[in-house]
Amino acid sequence: MYFEAKANGIKYQMNVNESRTHWKISLKTESSDWMNYDIPKQDFQTIDQTISFIFKNSSYLIDVIGKGTEYTVFTRGAHSVVEIYNEEKLLHESLKSGGNLGQSNSLVSGMPGKIVKIFVKPGDIVKKGDPLLIMEAMKMENEMRANGEALIKSVSVKPGDTVECGVILISFEKPSV
Amino acid sequence: MFEKILIANRGEIAVRIIRTCRELGILTVAVYSDADRNGFHVMLADEAYHIGPAPSRESYLNIEKIIQVAQKAKAQAIHPGYGFLSESPAFAKAVNDAGIAFIGPTVENILAMGDKLASRELMKKAQVPTVPGSQDAIKNLQEAEQVANQIGYPIIIKASAGGGGKGIRVVHDPKELSSALRACQSEGLNYFKDDRVFIERFIQNPKHIEVQVFGDTHGNVVHLYERECSMQRRHQKLIEESPSPSVPTQVREKMGQVAVTAAKSIQYVGAGTIEFIFDNNTKEFFFMEMNTRLQVEHPVTELVVGLDLVKEQIRVAAGKPLSFRQEDVKQSGHSIELRICAEDPITFTPSPGVIRRYRTPQGPFVRLDNCAYPGYEVPIHYDPMIAKLITWGKTREECIRRLQRALAEYMCTGIKSNIVLHKNILVHPTFLDGTYTTQFIDQQVAGKEQRELFMFVDEHVFLIAAAITAYNDAKSRDVSEYNLASHWRKLGRLRQLRS
Repeated sequence: MYFEAKANGIKYQMNVNESRTHWKISLKTESSDWMNYDIPKQDFQTIDQTISFIFKNSSYLIDVIGKGTEYTVFTRGAHSVVEIYNEEKLLHESLKSGGNLGQSNSLVSGMPGKIVKIFVKPGDIVKKGDPLLIMEAMKMENEMRANGEALIKSVSVKPGDTVECGVILISFEKPSV
Repeated sequence: MFEKILIANRGEIAVRIIRTCRELGILTVAVYSDADRNGFHVMLADEAYHIGPAPSRESYLNIEKIIQVAQKAKAQAIHPGYGFLSESPAFAKAVNDAGIAFIGPTVENILAMGDKLASRELMKKAQVPTVPGSQDAIKNLQEAEQVANQIGYPIIIKASAGGGGKGIRVVHDPKELSSALRACQSEGLNYFKDDRVFIERFIQNPKHIEVQVFGDTHGNVVHLYERECSMQRRHQKLIEESPSPSVPTQVREKMGQVAVTAAKSIQYVGAGTIEFIFDNNTKEFFFMEMNTRLQVEHPVTELVVGLDLVKEQIRVAAGKPLSFRQEDVKQSGHSIELRICAEDPITFTPSPGVIRRYRTPQGPFVRLDNCAYPGYEVPIHYDPMIAKLITWGKTREECIRRLQRALAEYMCTGIKSNIVLHKNILVHPTFLDGTYTTQFIDQQVAGKEQRELFMFVDEHVFLIAAAITAYNDAKSRDVSEYNLASHWRKLGRLRQLRS
């Protein structure tokens, strides 16, 4: 399962996969390479309502409180708020921001996915609510719309492309009146 | 001796007092506000009475109500704990007038020490050293200049009735004097309805060192040596220890004698504390004020001298002489107390809320005076301190190691706590060598990044734990959706069977 997380001001990409015996976790920051952890399930187990986690031979007692997109992790007298988005949550976020137009001058993919259809080409002027492109993610087609008037400067993807999260799809300019 | 005592307090101190009462075979009466029905002291006491709404003013500070309850419960004595009504002369008087014993000093004792300026004059007369400064309240700027020049800069201006950091100004430069004077006077007037101020020498490397004293109604007054309480945040103590690592032996004996002189001069009865400001450069000490109550940090004294101070308080209130003499009091080993508070470890803002998991440290020479438990909701209405972790060691080093060990066992989740701050202080060289002053937190800890403070945790642990939890949450949602779908399938099958 793919996640994007934010803790202590740092953004992370994460993959969590489960086998019968292991948790396979990989994570990276914007500046680091992927780091992979193979965690035996017996090293991460709940004992007496508390998570006992043996990580790099360090024994942690952990409590995680939260749901949705915000989890607070308590351990060793410290606590950290971890914002965490799975693909479904990322989609909600990217749809909520309406493709970022208006606040920013580009449309960025809010999650990894596949470009299905593009409605605009460089030089077009779009109005608020005009469809920009359709992206498939989570086995659903999501139409990204403009949330303000703009001139299309460039389109960086073509139908059929698969994109990672955070990639610029379309760049805008303020239209000259 | 008393058969039943009412404890006019809440939290860990109420629990602490109940424990000693039990050991003495005395029944206990707890009182509680709306916010404290689930208080640990309520569950532990023999009897419990509701005394009003959550705000202290309408409950724990309601003198009439508390005395009513004491009479109804037929309590023969009232222990006020610390804070709330413990230093209220009106309360002590009302208790006495109701024919109930007040477990604390006399009304006269409280009055004598209640006003900072007046108590300082009293102490000067008794030959107790005070910080060089103005004899009386400062009347005008000329007088302020004269006094300041006499004692030398830097100086500190204080409102007579001031407290909690209000009405206090440090002046390093004569040019700042007039504006600082005006500011203190107006703050004094605004906050305490009293614009009297005084001036004294500002001590640059100050340590807060206090001496526990004890008097009885038979004229005995003894001291139980010192406690150092220099580790403070927002003018409130955070860590206390006994003995102080900075006080040389001769000075220690001298401080004890001076404290006894001070207490004797007002015929002090019960447990009290003489607070000194200690100049760590010159090893001079000066009287600051006297607290006419049992202190939060009394356990470190108990562990070092081997006495139960609450027990002695109860004996004294019952008219008995102290159970020990001055020559019986010996300091043995070292004890340190950490105040565990429901607060942000960096900003110190209180963090009330429900505690989810709570595991407390145990093992040899560990004492926990505590009022929290799993599921306990820390109310927003009162002090955020939930527990005091105290250890004893043969040496200061052993005591600190034991505290570190105990902190590692301590788990408190659901609310923010300052456990991690304590962990950081306990490994700081300035704490370890004992040279820390009251400015330590401001200078060494304030403004630290969360990451620095959380050095005991690999950051990936937070992320992995959150991610696996989020994964499990998502998975269990899928399962419940699947179950929902299968209900439709069941219905479908049912229909097919019918047709």
